[in-house]
Amino acid sequence: MSEGLILVLVVAASYLAARVAFEWLAWRFLIVSGAEYLLLGILLGPQLSGILSPDAVESFAPITSLGLGWMGALIGGQLVLPRMIRTAAVLYRVALVESLLTFAFTAALMAAGIYGTLDVAPRIAIVAGVGLGAVATVSATAGVAVVARQLGRRSPVVQQLEVASATNAVVGILVSGLLFAIVHPDPDAAVVGRPLTPTEWAVITIAVGVVGGALFHLFVGEERKVDRLFISLAGAVILVSGAATYLRVSPLLAAVCFGFVLVNTTRSRAQITIALERIERPLYFALLVLAGATWRPSVRDSVVLVLLFLLVRIAAKIGAARLAARWNGMLPALGPHWGRGLLGQGGLALAVALSYLYREDVPLANLVFTAAVASVLLTDVLSARFVRSLVYVDVHQVIAGAEQPRATKSPVPVGPVPPNIVQPDAPSSADA
Amino acid sequence: MRRVVILALLFGAMQLVLPLGGGGHGSQWLLTFGFLILAAYSVGELAVLVRLPKITGYLAAGVIFGPSLFNTVTVDAIGELRPVSSLAIGLIAYLAGAELRWEEVRKRGATIVKILTAEMVLGLVALSAVLWALGDRIPFLQGTAGSSRVAFAVLFGAVAIVHSPAVVMALLSETRAGGPIARTTLGVVLVSDVVVVILFSAMLAITRAVVPPTGANLEGVSLGMMLWELGGAVLVGALLGGAVALYLRFVKHELVLFAIVVAFFGLVIARLVHVETLLALLTAGFVTENLSRHEDGEAIRHAMERSAAPVFVVFFALAGAEMGLREVAGFWPLLIPIVAVRTAAIWGGTRAGVRWAGATPDTRRVWMGLVPQAGVAIGLAAAVAQAYPVRGSQMRTLFLAVVAINQVIGPILFRFALNRSNEIVSGAGEPAAARLTPLSTEEAIRE
Repeated sequence: MSEGLILVLVVAASYLAARVAFEWLAWRFLIVSGAEYLLLGILLGPQLSGILSPDAVESFAPITSLGLGWMGALIGGQLVLPRMIRTAAVLYRVALVESLLTFAFTAALMAAGIYGTLDVAPRIAIVAGVGLGAVATVSATAGVAVVARQLGRRSPVVQQLEVASATNAVVGILVSGLLFAIVHPDPDAAVVGRPLTPTEWAVITIAVGVVGGALFHLFVGEERKVDRLFISLAGAVILVSGAATYLRVSPLLAAVCFGFVLVNTTRSRAQITIALERIERPLYFALLVLAGATWRPSVRDSVVLVLLFLLVRIAAKIGAARLAARWNGMLPALGPHWGRGLLGQGGLALAVALSYLYREDVPLANLVFTAAVASVLLTDVLSARFVRSLVYVDVHQVIAGAEQPRATKSPVPVGPVPPNIVQPDAPSSADA
Repeated sequence: MRRVVILALLFGAMQLVLPLGGGGHGSQWLLTFGFLILAAYSVGELAVLVRLPKITGYLAAGVIFGPSLFNTVTVDAIGELRPVSSLAIGLIAYLAGAELRWEEVRKRGATIVKILTAEMVLGLVALSAVLWALGDRIPFLQGTAGSSRVAFAVLFGAVAIVHSPAVVMALLSETRAGGPIARTTLGVVLVSDVVVVILFSAMLAITRAVVPPTGANLEGVSLGMMLWELGGAVLVGALLGGAVALYLRFVKHELVLFAIVVAFFGLVIARLVHVETLLALLTAGFVTENLSRHEDGEAIRHAMERSAAPVFVVFFALAGAEMGLREVAGFWPLLIPIVAVRTAAIWGGTRAGVRWAGATPDTRRVWMGLVPQAGVAIGLAAAVAQAYPVRGSQMRTLFLAVVAINQVIGPILFRFALNRSNEIVSGAGEPAAARLTPLSTEEAIRE
C-alpha cells in the first residue's frame, strides 16, 4: 500500500479515535491522554503490524522535526514575561528546585544503572543517563490543565503544579539541548578551520531561535492579521526547526528560544498565539503517531533498565517535590505528596526522547526512547486523576470552608490536550 | 527597504548555516521549505509595491535563489521538495473546482459557453499551429516528427490556453467591480478551468498513447484506459466530494487538518487507481461546493486556503527555481510569437464568441481578463514535466516564461478593461501598495 495513503489513513484513524472514543472516555472517566495516538503508532509501525515500513517512517522524519519545532515554539510562546512576573517568586523557586533535583537524581541513578547493567564506557552511561534525566524531568500538563479548568485556580496546589510543569518543560528541553551541544559530532573542519566547541554549539542552538524570532519580528512588523501572520509564522518555525535539525542541534530548544523572543517582542501576541494554535493539534497527533511507529524495542535495552527508570522517576518526582516544598517553606500549603501531580508524562516527554533518538550519534538512543514510551503509556492516562486526588485533599484540608468542588458532575468536556505548559488566567490588557 | 533587509538577512543566515550542517532526518527539506516561504513571501510583497502580482514575486524569488543564480535552493533540495509541488497541484485543482457554483454557470451559461468555445478552439488551434510551425527551434519538439510532434504541440496548446481565476478574482475583489465584464470574465475563467483540465487530461492521455514516456508500460495504453483516466477521475472526485460534503454536514471539526487530508487523499487515491489527478480533485471541489450548504462549502474552502498558503508560496517559488535562466534566455525569440499569437487568439476568439452569443458590445473587452495565467497553468505544466521528465521539463520552462509575461501584462490589461467599462466602484481599487496591509489570505493565496 502507498506510504502516503497509509499516512492519510493513520491521521484519519487517529482523528476519529480521538473524536469518537477517547473524548468520551476522557469526559466519563477523567482519562486525559495522547497515549492512544502513541499506541496507534506502535500498532501500525514496523514492530507490530508492519503497515508502516521503516522506510516509510524515515520518510516522514521532516514532519516529526516540524512537530518538534512547533511544540517548542508553542512552549516558548507561553513564556510571556509580563505574565510570568505576576506569579509569586516562591512558586518558581519550588518548581526550579524540584526540576533540578529530579533531573540530577534520575540522571545519576540511571547512569549508574546503565554502567552496572550494560557493558559500556562511563561516557556512554553518563550521556544516556543525562538523556533519561531530561526525559524524567518533563511532566504532562494535560492533567493539570483539565483539573484547573474544572476547579479553577484558587487552589495553591494547582497554581504550583502549573508553574512546576512549565518549569519542568523548560529545564528538560534546556538539558537535552545542552547535551546535544556537548556530544555534537565534529563539523566539517574545512569550513571553520577547527571543530566547534560545545559552548559554540550551545550558542548556535540559541542563536538559531533568537535570530529566527528577530527575523520574524522584522518580517511581520505591526501586522495583526492572523492569516498573514500564519504564513510568516509557518515559514519561521519551519526554518528554525529545519536549521536546528540540519545543524544537528536541538530543534526543541531552538524553537523555544524562537517562541520566547517572538511573544516578548511583538504587540500581536494574541494573534500569534492563535496562529500557532491553528495547527497545533494536527501536528501533535501526527507527532505522537509517528513517535509510536518509530519505536524499536531492543534486546539490549533491557526491561530492567526501563523498569528502573520508571521507579526512579516516581521516587525522584515525589521526593524532589517534597524537598523543594520543605526548603522553601511551602510544605504546609502544598502537602507532602504534591509531586504526585507531576507523575504524568505526555507528548513533551516523547518529543524530548524523539529528538534524542533522531540524533543517531548519541548512545543508547533506543533505551531512552523506550523508557519515554513506557512512561507515557503508563502515566499519561492517569495524569488528571493524580492531580485531582491532590486537589481534593488540598481543597478539603487547606482551604477550609471553601466551596465544595463540582468535579464529578462537571459539564466541561475533556479530551486529549496538546502540551500547553502554562494555562494562564485571562490575559490582562498588558498582554493584549 | 525592510523587505530587502530581511532578504539579505535570510540569505546571509543560509550562507552561515549551510556549510555547518551535516544533514539529518529530512533536514535540508525543512530548511529549504522554511527559507523559501519567507524569501518568496518577501519578494512577493516587493512585487506588490511595484504593482506586480505576488505570484510574479514568488517566481522571481525562485529564480533568484535557485540554481540559476545564488544556488541557495539546490537541485537536490528542489528534488526533496517535489511532494510539496504535488500537494499544491491537488489543492489548486480542488480550490478551482470549489470556485465553480452551479447557479453562476446556469445564469450566464449560454454566453459563457459560446465565448469560451470560440476563444478556446481558436487559441488551441493557433497555438498548436505556431508550435508546429516553429518545429525544431523548440527543444521539446526536436527529434520528433509526424504524430508525436503534433501530439506535443497540441499538448502545449492545451496548457497555454489556460486562464487565471486567481488573478481575475483578486482584481475583482480589489476593484469591487460587478458589471457585465466582471461577471462574464469570472464565469468564463471558472468554467474554462474545468474544460481545460478535461481537455488537458485527454491530450495528455493521447500524447502518452502516441509517445509513451520512458519506462512506461506500453501494454497498458489503450482507449479504455484513457476513458477510465477521465471517467474514473470524475467518479473518484464525485465520491470524494460527496464524502467531504457529508463530513461537513455531520462532523465539521478540525477543518484545517481535514482540508490537507482531503487533498492528499485525493492525490494518493487518484494515483493508486490510475485516474487523472487534477480532474479528480477539481470534481471533488465542485461536488463539495454544490452539495454542501453555502456556509459549509465556504468553511472548507477557507480552511484549505489557510493551510495551503505556505504550500502555494513554495510551489510558485519552486517553479521559478526550476526555471533555468539560460534556457529561458534561449527561448526568448520564441516567446514573442507565442505570447502574441495567444493574445491575438484570445482577442479574436472572444470577439467571435460575443457576436455569436449576441452579448452587449462592451463584453468584447472580456478578452483582457483572459490573458493572465497562474496556478492551474503552472500545475498543468508541472504535470507534463512529471509525465515526461525531459521534454516535459523543457516544455515547462518555456511555458513558465510565457506565464511570467502574461502575469505581468494580464492584470494591467484587465484593470484597464474594467476601468474603460466604468465597472470599478468609486473609491475602490486603491493602489496595490496601499492594499498591502489589509490583504486577506484568500487574496494572498490566489495572487
